[in-house]
This record gives sequence, structure tokens and C-alpha cells, in this order.
Amino acid sequence: MIAATLLRLALWVLLAPLLPGIINKVKAWVAGRQGPPVLQLYFDLARLWQKSVVLSTLVSPAFVAAPAVAWVAVAGAAMLVPLGPLGAALSFRGDVLLMVYLLALCTAWAALETGSAFEGMGAAREVSYAVLSEAAVFAAMLSLSVQTGSVSLHAMLAPVSGAGTVLLAAGLFSVLLAENCRVPFDDPNTHLELTMIHEAMVLDHSGPPLAVILHGASMKLLLFATILTEAVLPTTGLAPLAVAGVVFAGVLIVTVGVGLTESLLARFAFRRVPMLLTMAFLLCLFSLLVAWKGGVA
Amino acid sequence: MTPGGLLLLAAACLLAAIGLGPRFERPALAFTLCGTFAGLLAALPVLFGPVDWEWKTSFLLGGEKVHLLLDGVSAVFLVLVSVIGGAGAVYAREYWPASHYPASAGRGRAWWSALVLCMGLVLVVCNGLHFLIVWEAFALCGYFLITLENRSPEVRKAGWLYLAASHAGTLGLFAFFGALAARAGTWDLGPMRNAEGMAPLFWLVLFGFGMKAGFFPCHIWLPSAHANAPSHVSAIMSGVAIKMGVYGIVRFSGWLPVPATAGYVVIGLGATSAILGIAFALTQNDLKRLLAYCSVENIGILLIGLGGALLARAHGNALWGRLALAGMFLHVWNHGLFKSLLFFGAGSVLHATGKREMSRLGGLWRSMPWTAGLFAVGAVAVSGLPPLNGFVSEWFIYLGLFDAVATRSAFAWAAMPAAIMLAMAGALALASFTKAGAIVFLGAPRTMAAVDAHECGLWMRGPMMALAAACLAIGIAPASLWTPISRAVGSWHSPWVLQAPPTPLQTLGSVQLVLAMVAAAAGVWLWRKVRVNGACRNLTWDCGYAEPVPSMQYTSGSFAGIAGGWFFWIFLPERKLRRPRGPFPDKALRLERTPDTVLERVIAPSAGFITRLSTLVRGFQHGRLQSYILYLLAGLAAVGILVYFGTTK
Repeated sequence: MIAATLLRLALWVLLAPLLPGIINKVKAWVAGRQGPPVLQLYFDLARLWQKSVVLSTLVSPAFVAAPAVAWVAVAGAAMLVPLGPLGAALSFRGDVLLMVYLLALCTAWAALETGSAFEGMGAAREVSYAVLSEAAVFAAMLSLSVQTGSVSLHAMLAPVSGAGTVLLAAGLFSVLLAENCRVPFDDPNTHLELTMIHEAMVLDHSGPPLAVILHGASMKLLLFATILTEAVLPTTGLAPLAVAGVVFAGVLIVTVGVGLTESLLARFAFRRVPMLLTMAFLLCLFSLLVAWKGGVA
Repeated sequence: MTPGGLLLLAAACLLAAIGLGPRFERPALAFTLCGTFAGLLAALPVLFGPVDWEWKTSFLLGGEKVHLLLDGVSAVFLVLVSVIGGAGAVYAREYWPASHYPASAGRGRAWWSALVLCMGLVLVVCNGLHFLIVWEAFALCGYFLITLENRSPEVRKAGWLYLAASHAGTLGLFAFFGALAARAGTWDLGPMRNAEGMAPLFWLVLFGFGMKAGFFPCHIWLPSAHANAPSHVSAIMSGVAIKMGVYGIVRFSGWLPVPATAGYVVIGLGATSAILGIAFALTQNDLKRLLAYCSVENIGILLIGLGGALLARAHGNALWGRLALAGMFLHVWNHGLFKSLLFFGAGSVLHATGKREMSRLGGLWRSMPWTAGLFAVGAVAVSGLPPLNGFVSEWFIYLGLFDAVATRSAFAWAAMPAAIMLAMAGALALASFTKAGAIVFLGAPRTMAAVDAHECGLWMRGPMMALAAACLAIGIAPASLWTPISRAVGSWHSPWVLQAPPTPLQTLGSVQLVLAMVAAAAGVWLWRKVRVNGACRNLTWDCGYAEPVPSMQYTSGSFAGIAGGWFFWIFLPERKLRRPRGPFPDKALRLERTPDTVLERVIAPSAGFITRLSTLVRGFQHGRLQSYILYLLAGLAAVGILVYFGTTK
């Protein structure tokens, strides 16, 4: 079992940095550029891992430990996500709650260590918007739970989807964009401090801690994409290999979708972000109501 | 020794501590510790064994027979009283010593033991009349502890507000116990689930005990009392004393029939308190007020659990009610542990710097690494994050709510918003405690007081370490607490007894253990990797600031700005703004204060109106005999007119 878990972890760790690469390639393609190679993040991570670090004079050792803890939390959450026919590394009643709470562990704390106003601003935005996205995530999970009568991810993500699937997909996709600091909520490319959430929080990180943060972020993106795909696609009755293929294709489609959204939409003004998140919440809530009142038992 | 003997021993030790407290420090501390330890030992056999301890005598007190009972429900609360009672007594030795507070240190020790004794009595007394007596004594002990530093007008005001609110609640309890005794024909208490016509009394219970429990909108006394009391007193008031209110609600909703709507009302109040309590906490600048409002949130979480249980009991004993109730009982312990830990931490900051305002602190981790680390443990626990205890109890409550929603019946209308609001409250708690921990302990010191801070000594650190260890232990081994929790659930509602711990709970415990170990190892490993790669220290880069100064840091107000803005409609903050004007601006300022909406916008104006009205009426009573005779004549004339024109049937 330990070997299987390690193998699964390796799969997550190795595949995750592919997603930002694909997104960037799609963006470049839409803009008519050649763009960075798909494997760019791997190169970046390898380079950062070798670099030395500049630390602010103000920070405590927790500044370095926090990215590691957050990475472990995301990796732990990933272990709870069933991967199509492979199932999850560990599945128990109520594991969905553990997953959501592990994802909530964030590094906002570390951002306030440096005494920088930009990073403080980023942290404040991160924790505030988390309130709304948490509500949306819970509505989505409740909706899945009502559809399947279960509180275990393994059962919640497997079966035929109900009538509210489109709503759920739209809601979860918006949450995915918000939680992974994507346009229209945040811009992962900008270096205008005033407009950022996540990038502003990590301004003063460098070297291996920054690598850990970037890798953790890519794993979180993969996790959300997987959950979205499995929640929406009905895979019952397919052969295990076919399920794996469908899930893989689904994740790919979601990733391309993120790239397209990013190319075609501008980032929203910050005043609009809460409204957009509220919309995501309402979408999930309506899917919950549909699942409850109209769905299959 | 039987629980009865131990309880007697505990009472004797505490009485001795009350007697010795004002004069002799060490013997009083020793007796308090013995007493609380005996109390803990008395509760354990009841929690881990199958039988309650009951003592009925023919001895009359105030014309009523003395009747004591320690069952699962009261034993859960007794454990909390004992643990925090002991920890706080140790903490106070360094925090409130006679060398600094010659006038109040001794008094404080005596009242402390008295408070612990009275809370213990509240838990075991099983007669309405005696309950009222010990309840009143408990409230008074709280008052004298809050006002230990009675030279400060702030403290006196907070104490008075506490006393007034407490007595408003006691009024409700007088009505409740009186009506109960009249209907049941006896002051003796006990299960009367099938009694006719008792159900409406639940509203009196909810009000009377709610004033002590401090859910929204009965929380008015909490923020100022907890902020102005000495920190060890804040810890026991917030961690334990308000739980006595919860105990009352739990106890009598278990013993008496409740109205059909009770479950909905309780769950609604709980969800409201959870969200609004933590939203108010987020905007506070005073560290201890923030913690006090966070208690309002946690009482809300407890009520969500209890409301779920009430709904389930009313709808055919559905099993999800048991989960919610188990989560509630576990959260009673958890909140007591981490909230006391946090108040001890705040006390240690106050002790070292003399400041409670977060905007005057910062960077304390350098001078107070232990306090910073222990406060961080408390902050993670209170935010309900894995792998600590706060997550376990919230996990239980969520499971209950999710199961309730999955049944697709009418009460899912209550469970669904409650689950979502609980999630939002959790995220807001994370925001609040990111702010509290980071603004106080991280970054650069904002004032000289923060620069000159010093770490607290072992007497203060020891209790904090013990509480933090308990938080971690419950987080990684929750299954070991299943027996007592299940016992309490069974005492509340007998069909819900369950012996073996559910498998998911054991799995969750081991997952949390593994996560905690892996996270710690990863942190250390990354730190070493940074060391190996080479690290140099420099100014915060911050996109190229040449000379950052402490006042450039993000403040507590700005951190709370975004989420606080969403609750503008209830905060109604007071703002004072003077913009810089002209080419050479003179002075500019911007002040913002978030008053307690219920107290200052609702209760204070209505109290003012009543006072004005009474002043008007008092004009009639001026002592002039002629006018009084005129009143008599006018009255007689009025009666005459009534008789003359009135028709009789």
C-alpha cells in the first residue's frame, strides 16, 4: 500500500507542472506567438531548486517552513482524490471535508512575515476571497453528496451526473479559476503589484521555497481540474482503461479551457471579484437545489 | 475512591483554597490544583464507565432535599472546568502576582477557587432551587474576577455590563424554574421528556442560559468583559463560563420536551452567531476583543450541532443527529482548550508589552518565540484546520449536516444553509487568526513597547504548553475520546449510545498524525535545503523599496478591510475623516471604530429612551401635597365618570 501511495504521489508530482505549460501554450497560440515550451515550469523548478535564497531580515524560520507545510497539505488532499479506475490512496467517510480543509491551508501567514504592504495586501485579498470560494466549494460538495447520498469522494465523484451538471460545471470552473489565481480573478503574469493576489503574496520568496510554492500551485490546479472532470463526466459502465482516458482527456480540456478563458477575457476590476465569486456560489447552490429537488435518487 | 468521595474532596480543597487564598499563595495554589485534579478524577469514571453517580439525601437545604447527579453530560463539562481551572490557577501565579497587584492578587486567588467551585456545583446540583442559588453565586464570582483591577473605569463598566446581562438572564431562569416547579409539582430536576405542556418552557431556557452562553444577539457583555478582565480570567470566562450557559441549554433540552420549532431556531441562531461573531472578530483591533468575538462564533458552532441533534430527535431519531451532537460535545472541550490557550497567549503579550491593540505590536516572535509558537498552535486549532482538534469536532458536525441534507427531507432546509455558513465562518476564522497571529507576532515591531518585549516565564508557559499538547493530542488521536463523547451523547438521548468508535474517526486520526509528521519533516527539510543552497539576509525586497519602515506594514484594519466591507450593513462603523487639503496640507486623519451593533445601536438607545420616559414620569412625584390631592380628586372623578356613563351587563 505504501508503495502504491508513493507511486501515486510521484504521478501527481510529475504530471502537475505540465498544466501551466499547456495553459501558456494555448495562450501563446491564441495570441499568434510561439510561446515558451510546454515543459517550461519543469525547467524553472529545476533552476530554482539549485539557487541560493535571499531572505528578508524580518522573517522567522516559519517563512521557509510555511511553503513546505502548504505543499504537504495539497499533496495530502491529492491523495484523497480518486483517479478514475485507480481509486484514491485513502478513502473514508467524510474525506471530502478533510480535502477541502487541507486546501484551505494557505501561506497567507508567511506573506505577512516580511512586513511588506504589497504582500500584506495580497494576503488580505487571498483570505477574504477564500470566504466566498469556500461557500461555493461547500455548495458544490453538498450537491454531489445529495446526488449520490454519500460523503466520500470515491462515491461522490463516480456515478452518473444529475440534471444540474451544467450548473455545477460552471460553478466549479469559476471556483477553479479563483482558487488558482487565474484570469478573470487574478493575473498570474502581471508584475503590477497592485493588481495581484497570489503573485503579490510570494514577492519575497526565492530559490527552493519559491519552487515549492510554484509546484504546489500547479498541483492544486491539477487537483481542481481532476475533481471538476470527475464530478461532471458520467463514467459508469466504461472499461477501466476508457475511464482513465476520459478523465485524462477531461483534465486536458479543462486546462485548455483555462488557457482560452485567459486569452479571451480581461481580468476583472477588484470590485467585481466578489460578485463573480458570488455568482460561482449561486451556480453551485442552484445545482444543489436541482440535485435535491429534481435529481435522481 | 468513588466519584462522590472525590467530589467531596474537590469541594473541600477548593473551600480551603478560598480560605487561604487572600493570604497564602502557595498553599492556595496547591489546594486549587488538588481540588481541580480531584474534580477531573471524579468525572473520568462516569465518562468511561456505564453508570451515573447520583446522591439523594433527605437533608434539607432551603426546604428542599439535596440531590446531586453527575451523568455523562455534566461530566463532560466538569472535565473542562477542572482542566482550565487548574491551568489558569498556575498561569495566574506569574501573571497576576502579589508583587505587581498587592491589592487584588490574593482576592483573585480566592475568587478563582470560588468560581471553579460554583461552576462544579452548577454541574452536579439537581434541584431547581439549589440550581438558582449556585448559578447566582457563580455569576457573582465571575463579576468579582472581571473587576479585579477595579480602579480602571473601563473595567468597572465592563463588570457592570456583565452583571446586568447576567441578571437579565437569571430573571429568565427564575421564571423557568418557577414555572417548571409549578407544573411538575416539585423542584427536583430530572428527565421529564413525556411531561405535558412543558415544551414552551424551552424558550425561557434558551433566553436565560443564552445570556450566559453569549450567542448573537445575547453576546453584548462578552467583548468588553473578556477584553478588560485579567487574561487568565478571560480564559476561564471564555473557555468555560460561557459553556455553563451551553450546559444549561443542553441539559434542559435533553430532559424536557421541546417545541417542534426549537431545532430550527437553535440551528438558525447558531449559524447567525457563527457568521456574525467571526465577522465582528475580524474587524477588531484589540486582540482580546477579537478573541471574545471569536467565542461568539464558537458558541454558534455548538448551537449548530445541538440544533441538528434536536431536529434529528424530533424526526425519528435519525442517526445523523448523533454525529452532530458528538461534534458539539467534542467542540465544548476543544473550544475550551484552544480559546484558553489563545487568551493565555494574549495575556502573555499584554504582560510583556502592556498593549492589547494589534496596531501597536508586531515582530514579537523574536523576543517571545514560545508564546508565538503556542499562539500559532491555538490559531490553527481555532480556525478548524487539520491536523489539530478544531477540525475533528467541526468534521463531526459537518458529517451530521451533510447526512441531513442527503436525506432530502424538510429539515435539510435548515442543515443546508447551516453547513454553508459554517464553511464561511471557518474561512473567516482563518482570516481573523491569520491577521491576529501575523500582525502581532510577525513583521517588524511597530512601537518601542513591542521592541522591548520579553518572553514569559515557566509558570505562564507551562499551562500554555499543556493546552497546546492537548489540542494536538485530540487532533491525532480523536478515537480515544469516543467513549466519553458517546457516553455524553447517550446521557442526552439514550437511543444514541454507541460503543465502538466509528472507523472513519480512527482513519482520520491516523491521517492527521501522518500529515503532522510529514509536514514537520518537510518544513525542516526545506529549511535545511535553504541552508545548503546558501541564504543571505537583506531588506525586504517588496519590488524595490529602498528603506521600508515599520509603519509601512499592512495594519489590522486594512487587512480586515475587504471582508469587513461585506458586513458593513451590520457593523455600521463610526468614521471620522479629515482629508488633507491645499498645497501644504495641515493635519489629516481617518478614524474608524466598529461598535458592537446590538449593544450600542439597539440596547443603548432603547435604554436611553426608557430612562428619558422615566424621568418624565418622575416629574409627577415632587412631594407637593396639594398636587397629590389633585391627583386623588382627578382619579375619583375619572372613576365616577366611568361608573356614571359605563353600562353594566
